[in-house]
Amino acid sequence: MSWGLIFATTKIFHFSHALTLTFAVYAAVLSSGAWGLPLPLALAVAALVGAGVGAATELYLYRPLRRVQATQLNIFLASLGLLIAGQSLVLVVFGPQARAFEGFPVQGITLGPVAFTTIEALWLAVAWVLIAALIGWLWLTRNGLAIRAVANNPELAQCVGVEHERVFLLVFAVGSALAGVAGTLLALRDTASPMMGVHPVLSAFIAVFLGGIGSIPGAAIGGLVLGLAENMGGLVLPGYWQGVIAFVVLFIVLVVRPSGLLGTRRR
Amino acid sequence: MDFWLHVVNIILLFAMLGASLNLLLGYAGLVSMSHAAFFGVGAYAAALTAVHLGWPFPLTLLAAIAITTVLAGGVTFPALRVRGEYLILLTLALQMVLYELMLSWVDLTEGRTGISAIPRPVVFGQRIVTPAQFLPLIAVCAAIVFTVAHRVGESPLGRVLKAIRDDERATQAIGKNVVRYKVIVFSVSGALAAVAAALFAHYQAFINPFSFTLERSIFLVALVVLGGTANLLGTLVGAALFVGLPELLRFLQAPQDIVDALRDFVFGALLVAFMRFRPQGLVPERAGARPRRTDRTEADAARAAPTAPAVVPAARTTAAAPALVAESLTKRFGGIYAADGLSLVLPAGQVTALVGPNGAGKTTVFNLLTGFVAPDAGRVLLHGRDITGLAPWRTVGYGLARTFQDVRLFERMTVLDNVMAAIPGQPGERLAPLFFAPWRTARAEREHCARALEELAFVGLANRAGALAGALAYGDQKLVALARLLATGADVLLLDEPASGVDVHWVSRILELIRRVAAAGKTVCIVEHNLEVVTAVADRAYFMETGRIITEGRPEALMADPQLGEIYFGTGAA
Repeated sequence: MSWGLIFATTKIFHFSHALTLTFAVYAAVLSSGAWGLPLPLALAVAALVGAGVGAATELYLYRPLRRVQATQLNIFLASLGLLIAGQSLVLVVFGPQARAFEGFPVQGITLGPVAFTTIEALWLAVAWVLIAALIGWLWLTRNGLAIRAVANNPELAQCVGVEHERVFLLVFAVGSALAGVAGTLLALRDTASPMMGVHPVLSAFIAVFLGGIGSIPGAAIGGLVLGLAENMGGLVLPGYWQGVIAFVVLFIVLVVRPSGLLGTRRR
Repeated sequence: MDFWLHVVNIILLFAMLGASLNLLLGYAGLVSMSHAAFFGVGAYAAALTAVHLGWPFPLTLLAAIAITTVLAGGVTFPALRVRGEYLILLTLALQMVLYELMLSWVDLTEGRTGISAIPRPVVFGQRIVTPAQFLPLIAVCAAIVFTVAHRVGESPLGRVLKAIRDDERATQAIGKNVVRYKVIVFSVSGALAAVAAALFAHYQAFINPFSFTLERSIFLVALVVLGGTANLLGTLVGAALFVGLPELLRFLQAPQDIVDALRDFVFGALLVAFMRFRPQGLVPERAGARPRRTDRTEADAARAAPTAPAVVPAARTTAAAPALVAESLTKRFGGIYAADGLSLVLPAGQVTALVGPNGAGKTTVFNLLTGFVAPDAGRVLLHGRDITGLAPWRTVGYGLARTFQDVRLFERMTVLDNVMAAIPGQPGERLAPLFFAPWRTARAEREHCARALEELAFVGLANRAGALAGALAYGDQKLVALARLLATGADVLLLDEPASGVDVHWVSRILELIRRVAAAGKTVCIVEHNLEVVTAVADRAYFMETGRIITEGRPEALMADPQLGEIYFGTGAA
């Protein structure tokens, strides 16, 4: 969803979102390891660092690129280059080994036939709160209105006095903060590693395209469909197919309905 | 020594892959993230036919080419509906699916263990094993691949590919079957990648899926862009730099994972730096590739046709017969009728105007007539032939072509290329004549160049033939669009606001040209806001409002009608 927000508004294929996520998670993991921060504080650190990295990417990479009128492919490749370089940097500085998040109690919870862990319960809760907050922010505040205006038509928004550069920056900051939080939550279960950002971001943009660009509910539904397809598919098909299912679904949706499940058809 | 020869071999293999990808990415503007997967499919095809069927080397190469070509050509069909970021995503999905297949279809591919003991090829009775022995074979193949790629890229076919890259709709509007060209370029690209793939399989004697990952696809795209899109020399240089240089890092005294990370870091940083400071790549596309030939053929053209007007009279119909008839065309978008039972007639050899307020549906009429939008009901007859709902490129073939309100030139091509691309029936746009009848192709190319220069001379832009179309003034761009339209050879021409957005000087020039075109026997229909323009050039005018034709008649008569003035200017203005 955070990736979707950024993409819908700025039309930037922001691959290095994965890097933002990685940086934010490392910040959270290291700070909580070093100073024994409690989880909410660690999440706040992740959000702050995420926002900082995201905003810096926008300021120092995308903005100059837009100035020289780079094509979308060029921006995409620059983003990719940043991701590759940044990941290697993390690898060199912190080493390739995974780092576990310590100090959060993991317990199994059983509700009737459904079994899950406290981490997963936390994911669910935080995810819904964030989605609700984001939608509320987008629809109820002045900044949200500005963002939706720019997403819809940057030139026109400019004409009525919405500065799109400022909105872009805001979107990058907010989206990246979300990514930082989401990444840290993931790291609770799966540990942090230099390449950890790639898979969630791939999933995220599949979800965005499935749901339809620019539609936040679409992205949420896309994510849901994707998760269901992956897990249900696992029941029917041999295990090794699970990695493919997401992409098969994506492939089919792109072929059959290129504008996404909830997207409006563009001519 | 062998190590360096090995590096050279790998560079050549990557250069071949890069060249094949460059056709897609650089020339046709189709970003494919599945090139490593194509590479993998080719490698597996060669390896499996060699190991299980015992086929010798040249046969395994052919098998690889056949399978990869079919696969790549087949990919075109889902890819047809999507462009830009969607195509990136679609090919990315394909890459992941194929990669996972290589990993999971253990019965065929042996999964992550891979296929080993792939026999070394026997060339001239000698089994070649070492990098030194392989080098000549790989070099020869690389030369062939580059020759083919160059032949395709820098030809009438390549010109159409670039046209598709620059503006797909405009390419349809000049009568090119975009689907066909996309199939061709995907297939050729796949075939060339397969050459590298088969060589790779035999050279390594071992393959597993890890050579064909998404990272590899991304690396290939980066290599092509860094080297320079639509320039094969750039791809070769790029491969040498980005495959060769990192090998130097091997000599650093450091643990392997640090070296790898360092290499990635340098690569990533270079990627960012290039996009920022040199987005066109190391060796940029040769934009003004034609001045020399232009000069030469310009002289020829001047000799061949010293005075005659460039437009060839098209005496396909008798003067009074209608060239184009539209019968009760209807098109709805949602609940709105963009065209509501609309009928019109374009008499041959006359200029007809379509006037009306903004949003009356004038451009929609053009879209319906030329097949860009299929009507819900109604018929379009061109010279008595029913062309309703035919694809745009077909209607151009039957003699009906249009321009666009927003000009839509191929901006990164020269003016001359813009016009030449529109000439129909070029042998060099098909693969067979391109490779097997090079003389005929070259002769046709010279003729078409002269022909395009005539059209440019007609609109007064012959001296700008070598300039990039995107660099011209707006008025000049409109003139190039007109020359391009004439080059299609169509005899019914639909001009969408030919004189809008340019100053008086250009307006009078364009009007003069339209009159001359009509005088040469072409049938013209213009959509125009400027009523002075309409009165000056049109023989008849249709007045449209909200998808319907309100009235028709001589332009002067329509202008004098106070009721129409009211609709046009709003109440009180008339």
